[in-house]
Amino acid sequence: MGNNKNKRFVIENQIGELSSLADKIDELAEEWELSPALAMNMNLVIEEAVSNIIFYAFNDDNKHEIRISISLENSSLTIKIIDDGIPFNPLAQQQPNITLPAEERPVGGLGIFLISQIMDEMNYDRIKNENILTLLKTI
Amino acid sequence: MNIKKDKVGEFLVLKIKGRIDTIHSADLEREVNQLFAGGEQHLIFNCEGMNYISSSGLRVFLVAQKKAKAINGKLFLCEMQPAIQEIFRISGFSNLFKIFTTQEDALQNQ
Repeated sequence: MGNNKNKRFVIENQIGELSSLADKIDELAEEWELSPALAMNMNLVIEEAVSNIIFYAFNDDNKHEIRISISLENSSLTIKIIDDGIPFNPLAQQQPNITLPAEERPVGGLGIFLISQIMDEMNYDRIKNENILTLLKTI
Repeated sequence: MNIKKDKVGEFLVLKIKGRIDTIHSADLEREVNQLFAGGEQHLIFNCEGMNYISSSGLRVFLVAQKKAKAINGKLFLCEMQPAIQEIFRISGFSNLFKIFTTQEDALQNQ
């Protein structure tokens, strides 16, 4: 009762989908009365995860669905992102060295790192043919 | 996203408004590349109206910084919103740029 909120979005693996998704997340944040900073962070982690999936998860030209669910239970925010692309465990990726000077910093590789910094917990499961990324944050 | 350009002394000031995300970062990158190609050496990014940045946007700033350093140019950022500053901090980007509170401060630190 009362404190459980859930929302589900389904998008196609097209990069253009990110714009309307961002608008919907902003609307949701307003509806759930979340702070603008939290809305930005929610948008950011979802954009990073979903753009990775769109760019790298599929090696065919078919349409694929990416399912995003967001739930808020009291102060626990859970974001779950599911795709049927090639197996990809973001937790197994090398963390960037953020102490390097500009000349030596590689461009890229920051997206997953940002997710791990913003969220409190990041879990990955491969179940049947799906990647399931679960992100948790206490707000 | 929207970019307004203004030449102030030796600096080209870019006022960025809106989102620097996966969709829009290419526009900013093109703009910056054109400025360097056109002979600009010193850039100030006024970020007052920038309300969102993702890793693709950070990447554009890093590429710009690398280009500026290669030609002994100055690249300053200013008037950044706190939520954006936080993204720069957690990604280690705060150490890669001089970030000023006001545009005036950035212009004076020549």
